[in-house]
Amino acid sequence: MNGSTIIFYLLAALTLICGILSVSTRQIFRAAIYLLFSLIGIAGIYFWLDYQFIAAVQIVVYVGGIVVLIIFSIFLTQQAGDKLSKQKIGRKIFSALAVFCGFALTMLQVYQHSFYPSSDIHVSPTVANIGNRMLSVKEGGYALPFELVSILLLAALIGCIVIAMRSKPETT
Amino acid sequence: MLKDFLILMKPELVVTAILFLLLFIKIGKGIKNETMLPLIQVLLLANFLLGFFFNQQGVLFEGAYSTTPLIVFQKNILSLGVYLISLLCTDWLKKSQNLPEFFMLMLSALLGMFFMISSGNLLIFFLSLELATIPVAAMANFDLDKKIASEAAMKMILSSAFSSGILLFGISLLYGATGTISFSELPQLLDGSPLQVLAFVFLFTAFAFKLSIVPFHLWTADVYEGSPIAVSSFLSVISKGSVAFIFISTLYKVFQPMHDVWYNMLVILAIATMVIGNLFAIRQQNIKRFLAFSSIAQVGFILVGISSNDHTGLTSVVYFVLIYVFSNLAAFGVASVISGQTGKENIDDYKGLYKTNPFLSWVLALALFSLAGIPPTAGFFGKLFLVTAGASNGSYGFITVVALNLIVSLYYYLRIIRAVFMDKNEQPIDKIKINPAAKLGLLICGAGIILVGVLSWIYDYINSLT
Repeated sequence: MNGSTIIFYLLAALTLICGILSVSTRQIFRAAIYLLFSLIGIAGIYFWLDYQFIAAVQIVVYVGGIVVLIIFSIFLTQQAGDKLSKQKIGRKIFSALAVFCGFALTMLQVYQHSFYPSSDIHVSPTVANIGNRMLSVKEGGYALPFELVSILLLAALIGCIVIAMRSKPETT
Repeated sequence: MLKDFLILMKPELVVTAILFLLLFIKIGKGIKNETMLPLIQVLLLANFLLGFFFNQQGVLFEGAYSTTPLIVFQKNILSLGVYLISLLCTDWLKKSQNLPEFFMLMLSALLGMFFMISSGNLLIFFLSLELATIPVAAMANFDLDKKIASEAAMKMILSSAFSSGILLFGISLLYGATGTISFSELPQLLDGSPLQVLAFVFLFTAFAFKLSIVPFHLWTADVYEGSPIAVSSFLSVISKGSVAFIFISTLYKVFQPMHDVWYNMLVILAIATMVIGNLFAIRQQNIKRFLAFSSIAQVGFILVGISSNDHTGLTSVVYFVLIYVFSNLAAFGVASVISGQTGKENIDDYKGLYKTNPFLSWVLALALFSLAGIPPTAGFFGKLFLVTAGASNGSYGFITVVALNLIVSLYYYLRIIRAVFMDKNEQPIDKIKINPAAKLGLLICGAGIILVGVLSWIYDYINSLT
């Protein structure tokens, strides 16, 4: 086991442990912070793969943007210090069992499968290349998915604005 | 190049143009609902009619987008459904404070469905599936002053996020196992290894969520009950129809090498879906919940048709979805007119409806007969072809279970017809003045229910496309 592998396992452990903690903690604010570290772990894996640009995007968008947004919405809507109600023990056991079985099944299949290298030409992860491909309609271009995502964001914006701008108070 | 692009992508471009037109009207001065709604209806009608002209088949973006006459026909069915919804839900839409936004979201969902049907690789498929789902979750919350609508939207966005997660995981496993995401390259690389089967099961699960196949149906009834009827009908007809189209084409074309795997899955899930959908439909008191479970059961019958794995299966499913658009929208349309005018949604309220509202009662009866599959309505022919296609494999035990389920479904559809025509009620729903647009929509649906079954060239036409 060389240094690189050890770093990978450390990053993977950080991501997984923080991920598990963020869904199992009873304080919602802590869940957001654990999520932050889990996302940093994923950014670390991108750095480890030498995908600097994607790692930077991961940090700027997820760590910097989305988690801050989550924390803001917790502060604005919830009592951040309150503990969530305790889950039933049966429910805990069954969720743990489901997670374990799913994980075991997937890992078993991944280990038994004999992988062969992809026939795709290696894509250089430089910013210039990513930027060119994102808007290119030629071979290997991603203009269509890019435009699809932009429509999706427009729709999401419209939906959010309508829902957030409700004028009357709620009735049951 | 540009000409190809404009002609091949015409359905998507028209929908996008209408979407942005509505956006600019909203950003500009804005128009009152009384003039806005007819304008939208005319635009949607134009969108539907334009679908019949300038059609070519071809491939764009290195195979990421493809279109064939069959895909164009499927898109036309969806456009027709959206136009009918805009007519049938006139009462609710007129009162809505956010009419243009509602249609912007509906059109972006429709755009997602168009791209989904045309998608040529898993990336476009995933993105367009999201585009077809997330706006609908926002639309479910459009009864802004009702808590139950927020609950419905929340349930929908969470369950769809969950299913998207599973789908994405399946796609990544499939990419790892085969090294490609292109639909045209996948079939050669599928060798049925356990990892590929696992990845396929994850993909299948995502489809099952969107089609609300049992046991992935738990969100359906709550979401249908809580959302406005316009959204419930959109979800049950347009959403399901589009996912059924892409489901059948991916199974037949991309996952054909895994036929043995998915045939068994389809048989088990079809039986579970029909039985659970039917049994729960019997118990429902709310008309929207009732239609939710009835639509679950109908999906079970679609699965029977899909299981045939030849072009009669494809034909019968497209034909059935066309009929299903008319029948289910007619049923939802009557519910929408009654709920829009009186706010009543319980089946008990429908008792004695025939005395006061004979037109609505007849349309409802026609729709329910068609959903139950009684001749001479088109629903009979739709079910007949689905079951015939399913029987082509020679698994008669399976078909017997399907036939038994048809009988059970007859019981609960007739229960509503009995309530409407025969049961006495001290205070039946007052005479309802039906809006001309809604009346037009109901008449189109009624005509569709009868004519699609009688005119045999429609089936022949679909058969020639497949």
